[in-house]
Amino acid sequence: MSSVEILRFAVRALVANRLRSLLTMLGIVIGIAAVILLTALGNGAAKFIQSQITGLGANSITVIARAASGTAGASAGASSRPLTAADAAALADPQGAPDVAYVAPVVQTSATVASGPNSETDTVIGSTPDYFPGANQVVASGRGYDQADLTAARPVAVLGRTVADDMFGVGSVPLGRTVLLNGSPFQVIGILQAKGQGGPGANPDTNVLAPLTAVQSTFTGFGNLNQIVVGARTTDSQNAAESEVYSIIDRRHGITNPNNRDYQLISSAQIAQVLDQTLSTFSLLLAGIAGISLLVGGIGITNIMLVSVTERTREIGIRKALGATPSAILAQFLVESVILSALAGAIGVAIGIGGTLIPLPGGFRAVVVPGAVIAAVVVSIAIGVFFGGYPARRAARLRPIEALRRE
Amino acid sequence: MTRAADDRSEAPVLDVRRMSKVYGEGETAVHALREVDLLVRRGEYVAVVGQSGSGKSTLLNILGCLDAPTSGRYLLDGLDVADLDERQQSILRNRQIGFIFQSFNLIPRTTTFANVELPMVYAGVSRRGRRERTRAALDLVGLADRADHRPNQLSGGQQQRVAVARALVTRPALLLADEPTGNLDSASTEDVLDLFDGLHATGRTIVLITHEERVAARADRTVVVTDGRLAEQAGARP
Repeated sequence: MSSVEILRFAVRALVANRLRSLLTMLGIVIGIAAVILLTALGNGAAKFIQSQITGLGANSITVIARAASGTAGASAGASSRPLTAADAAALADPQGAPDVAYVAPVVQTSATVASGPNSETDTVIGSTPDYFPGANQVVASGRGYDQADLTAARPVAVLGRTVADDMFGVGSVPLGRTVLLNGSPFQVIGILQAKGQGGPGANPDTNVLAPLTAVQSTFTGFGNLNQIVVGARTTDSQNAAESEVYSIIDRRHGITNPNNRDYQLISSAQIAQVLDQTLSTFSLLLAGIAGISLLVGGIGITNIMLVSVTERTREIGIRKALGATPSAILAQFLVESVILSALAGAIGVAIGIGGTLIPLPGGFRAVVVPGAVIAAVVVSIAIGVFFGGYPARRAARLRPIEALRRE
Repeated sequence: MTRAADDRSEAPVLDVRRMSKVYGEGETAVHALREVDLLVRRGEYVAVVGQSGSGKSTLLNILGCLDAPTSGRYLLDGLDVADLDERQQSILRNRQIGFIFQSFNLIPRTTTFANVELPMVYAGVSRRGRRERTRAALDLVGLADRADHRPNQLSGGQQQRVAVARALVTRPALLLADEPTGNLDSASTEDVLDLFDGLHATGRTIVLITHEERVAARADRTVVVTDGRLAEQAGARP
């Protein structure tokens, strides 16, 4: 008996019981579609959050001062020290920190921004031109301040999109106009690209960027720094750059116990790692739920095939009387369940992939995981073999005389 | 396989020796067949008659390799059936025996053509060979124009003729008919019995079980089963 004939018998039996076949397949279809959709959602969420994090500044590490942890006085040698321009200079030394590409010292202050009748309180950030790539700030129109502006401490400002909207009207490009920062006039030379609220920290669209020297002379004085933004040479050297930063500042601040540091590093890689772990746990949970629905679908196949074997006992008896070998009967029922489950798997894959095309609120898209699709197809066929195997073996083992007597 | 070495045409198609069949054990044991002997030669047309419960169905099931005897020997076309496993018995049924049942036993929702073709599918006959032989068998039983009908679209007599065509296509050594006319009206009974007469005339070996006298009268020989024992009887029943 050829495989073509077995296939023909199986298809004929499935078509003869169309409704039942379709309902049986439904369980697997839902299971497979759920596996693909849920993994795609998890994957899409991960990709979305990753893109938001890289928005913080690719390859950049931010050093922020903080009070030493631990109870006061317990660590006498580790009194809290602010970050200084000397710290920034040390980080810029290519001998001690070969993986550091640039160092941007940052001072920031809250200031009243005013233009004509409009006035609001925003964050003014003073730094060097390297701050733009370091914080992933892109100038949409006009220009960023440059080294010349920095050296001359020129009162020039680059406005965040929201600040420009609030001061000069939505969508305006007020290049050359003047804003008052705490009463001091600054000339607007550029507008930043809108970023939107993403990741931790303040909304970058409400910042005003100005040269470090200008901000220091106008507001903060030439004292301590709020942050130092450090850029690694490449993504791969980010970890190396981080440990260089740690060792340099630990030495300068006299820190021996890493748990008592009076500063901390924040890098996009760190945040990405934490979120990645959270997300993969989440994805695993979703896949688990989908897997359970697959199992239920598989049991549905067993159930229906058992019903089918019972219902067709007489037919099996006739076939055996006419010379069907046990293996021919086994093959027929096994192929039936495999066709059911494989077809259901294919439909489930189509629905799952189709479902990922539906646009989602929140701006992220489900991204299909190819591995999940392959696994789903393999699993659905395996379900057919595994869950169809028992009823098929029962059919094959039926004794012809008993099967024929059944009405 | 232990095929008898002598000339095939001389070997009996059925050779049953001291065969018994017991259902159950101990005090509740039922002796369906008691040390039965039966010899059927090639080309013979034998009717097995007996009342219901006499053991004739048990005999037919064993002759058709659907059931195994408790003791005794059974040679089918010179081959000892006891030596065969389940798979080999399936193949033996396929090649050597054509079944005709009282309740027709066509496969439902399947066309006449596919029903007749079925034993040849299990025999591994090519598609083309199957088509030719199915057409020839349907011609023989006069149902060539019903090839695409399903069993529920045929009368009982037509269904039984399809079953006869199905029993013939593999050119078996033996046709086993279990009350083939039991569910048929007298006109259809005549049709089917005429068909058997025709097959007998072309040299087919037929063993037919019946409780109807007029059916048994058509056979060369009648064997009576009473309480599990066989007795030869010539001519009509007394």
